[in-house]
Amino acid sequence: MNFNSRFLNKKLCNYHFRNCIRWFVVQNRLYAKATSFPDFFQNPIFRKEDQAKLIENSELAKLAAVPVRPPASYETCSVYHDPLVNKVINHVMEMGKKQLARSLVEKAFENIKRIQIERYHLAQTQEEKNKIELNPKSILYNAVENCKPLLQLSPIKRGGITYQVPGPITEKRSLFLSIKWLLEATNDKERTVHFPEQFAWELLDAANNTGKVVKRKQDLHRQCEANRAYAHYRWQ
Amino acid sequence: MFSRNWRVLSRAYSQAVTFRTSEISPQHQNDKQIGLFYTLKQDTCKELFSNGGLPKSFMKQTKTFTETTLMIRQPALDLINCIKSTDFNKPVIRYVLYGEKGCGKSLTMAHMIHYAYEDGYLIVHVPWVSEWLRRVPRHKEMSNSQTREGLVDLPLDAAAWLIHFKSQNQTLLKSSDLKISKEYVWSKREKTESGAPLSELVEHGIARIKYACDVIDALISEIKILSNNKQCKTFVAIDGFNSFFYPLTRLNTPTKKKVKPDEVTLTKSFLELTKNDWNNGIILLSADQLAVPDENQDSYFPRYLLRKQGFEYLDPFVPIEVGRYSDKEFLSCASYYRDRLWLRGPPEIETELKFTSACNPFKFMEQCAPL
Amino acid sequence: MSLIIKHCRSNGITSSFNLRIWRLNSTSMDVAAKKGEEEEEFRVLDILKKRDKVQKKVARRNDVQPDRADRMAVDQNWGNVWPGPKTFHPSSVPLPIRQGYVPKGQAPPGKKANAELMKIPNFLHLTPPVVKAQCEAIKQYCTEWPKLLNSEEAIEKHYPVEVITSDYCHASPSIRNPLARIVTLRVKLATLNLDKHARDKFLRLVGDRYDEKTDLVTITADRCPARKQNLDYVDYLLTACYHESLNVEEWEKDKTEDDMEYYDWDKNASKKSLVQWYLRMKNENVDLKDEQFIEYDISQIPNAESYKNAVSSLMNDGENESTVNNYAKEVRALLGLPEKLVV
Repeated sequence: MNFNSRFLNKKLCNYHFRNCIRWFVVQNRLYAKATSFPDFFQNPIFRKEDQAKLIENSELAKLAAVPVRPPASYETCSVYHDPLVNKVINHVMEMGKKQLARSLVEKAFENIKRIQIERYHLAQTQEEKNKIELNPKSILYNAVENCKPLLQLSPIKRGGITYQVPGPITEKRSLFLSIKWLLEATNDKERTVHFPEQFAWELLDAANNTGKVVKRKQDLHRQCEANRAYAHYRWQ
Repeated sequence: MFSRNWRVLSRAYSQAVTFRTSEISPQHQNDKQIGLFYTLKQDTCKELFSNGGLPKSFMKQTKTFTETTLMIRQPALDLINCIKSTDFNKPVIRYVLYGEKGCGKSLTMAHMIHYAYEDGYLIVHVPWVSEWLRRVPRHKEMSNSQTREGLVDLPLDAAAWLIHFKSQNQTLLKSSDLKISKEYVWSKREKTESGAPLSELVEHGIARIKYACDVIDALISEIKILSNNKQCKTFVAIDGFNSFFYPLTRLNTPTKKKVKPDEVTLTKSFLELTKNDWNNGIILLSADQLAVPDENQDSYFPRYLLRKQGFEYLDPFVPIEVGRYSDKEFLSCASYYRDRLWLRGPPEIETELKFTSACNPFKFMEQCAPL
Repeated sequence: MSLIIKHCRSNGITSSFNLRIWRLNSTSMDVAAKKGEEEEEFRVLDILKKRDKVQKKVARRNDVQPDRADRMAVDQNWGNVWPGPKTFHPSSVPLPIRQGYVPKGQAPPGKKANAELMKIPNFLHLTPPVVKAQCEAIKQYCTEWPKLLNSEEAIEKHYPVEVITSDYCHASPSIRNPLARIVTLRVKLATLNLDKHARDKFLRLVGDRYDEKTDLVTITADRCPARKQNLDYVDYLLTACYHESLNVEEWEKDKTEDDMEYYDWDKNASKKSLVQWYLRMKNENVDLKDEQFIEYDISQIPNAESYKNAVSSLMNDGENESTVNNYAKEVRALLGLPEKLVV
């Protein structure tokens, strides 16, 4: 996970980053407010894979005596549970209207699927067909990965002047920025266009490494490159 | 390793499940093909359903799937079975499709229309009654009827329906010698002679929208006479028929008076058609929860939806339930979706979808969408 | 030991020694006493005078006797101790009673000087043996239970009206239970022997006071302040409803089909449409009047009887899967269609 040390334009193979994201979309819940459960209560392990891993490592016995919080409604062992999708839904959500947010994201997925299947049927040769990614979830993963910035600018005041100093970014924040930018790009739309359609287009663009959001990321990188003379302010 | 092998095996199995049948003519479909999909030809589909008849979400699917397929299901086969053993000299028999929302009443009706089309029936098909009575777009054309006192005309809807009728029966109208029995005088200069072909009447309705409702009325009485005289056999299909019996429509007259369904000329005409005082025909109706407002959707049974008035009007009718998918149908549908790239993922997903959708066809389709 | 010492000493100093010897009782103490004798030669100046505590005499009355409760015999006749209703008195009750609210961890106060116990009404005069004895005493004034009323059914038959009141006492300063005045009357509707019309009218009059499952009419009155008045009122209500239901008013003739409490197939549109269908099938063009429809004999129509039953059950029992399926089956039989395709 040496994203930070590597430099700007690099490619990652598909499955590698996927594991990274899975690792980083945290399944632990951190609560802003106090809950009714004391701190020593463990987060539940609700995925069957994770449970199987525990059984394999024979760590399950350790957990047997530990008190565990109940899982939240979205933490299911369903086959289509996906932490990143869940994250995106939470980002889309406003005023706690999760059902609405979820339906919007799902509609966006449906739109992606329809567009891609149409392309698939239009494609002439088998090779072209094979190239087309039909799974909306992996398109989302690609899109989010392509939008993740590798550096960030932080304002640092030196001698009365605020410099935009480039620096490394944590994995978590880059994921946050990526989703945030995608949603900002989506919400910057005509009133007549609906969210799911626009979101589908943005995701497809980003998955293709084109579009507004990827440009924004590259702009940030360019800015960082330009400001690298200030880099020493980070520790001076 | 083992689990992967197993997955490959089960995927191979699910692909091996047959879900298509080459039997595209509904006459020859039998109960061995239950749960299988058959493909409608593009031009047939265009002829029958270009002006409505298939639900909107289904139309979207046909576009994505690049084909129109219908599943052969028990209610349709049951209906075909009944129709085959019907004595056409007796008064028409009325069938009422009922079932939960999204179980496929409209698609069963579409299947039956295809059957009637293949069998050479004259098709009188109303795609969705609520379109007339309950849907109020910004410019809903309404006028007081010239010929019948106190009734309301919906000329645009009527003309649209006449176009639908024309496109569904274009072959029959072109070729056959369906003649009008009496003279219809529309105005001082316009009239339709007796002995003119039926298509002339339809054309007149489309051309002179003002008279569309009266044309429909005339058309329906002519169809009844023609059927009685054994010149044609008629298949009547009306979706959302219970709308006719709901106490109120959403229409308002220009004087802000609420319109009742039986104050609309179209209602009168089509209720006249669904009486059993003629023969050589089949009437297929559907009682749908979606055709009435939310507060009256407590039950999906026909007596409740048709209300007392409608029940007494139709009695005796044959209720035909369109139910949820059986196991076999579900499996076949899932493999069809997999074939059409609509569903992917591990095979366990089907078990879960079966549970969450409760085998309801529409819900299943909806839940597959984001996967 | 001390005795011997006492003997040895001369008479002259006995008095001063006597005290000491009286106090001592062991040899070791003797030694210590000797020491003390030598030290006594100098008096110590006691600057801060420590006064010996003089124990105050407690005035104790000798005439207070032990509590009466403690002196009671185990096998006494309790009825004599507590013959009638009376405020609680701790000395009369030989029970370790405790009552009262206290902070957590403490025992509630005992019975003595306990106002809590005195506030509440007690039933110490109504112990089972006392009640039994009193019943025995008044038995001579009672009449015998009728022999024929030997079972619940017999009682129900001869006394169909059941009056329910409650006789609880209240555990508050007032013993009167406010529920005592409420009177409930229950009667089986079948015992009223009403005819069809009267029964219908009676049911409409009593409304939701009738329970279909148990066939019971329950009338409750609580508007009057005394039980007697409520009882009279309940009786009046039942009588009034009964007689009113037997009356036939002029306007009752206007009852239409919608007001019917159950679906009568013969009088409904369903029969009419069936007959019309049948006539059309036979190509008979007969115009029948409504009465003729009602009187039309359906036995000549094949399968019509079971169809009639199916429609009636659909209407009367409500619509559910089984009634609708039954209806479908009968209609198919009537119209000569094949059975439902079973897959």
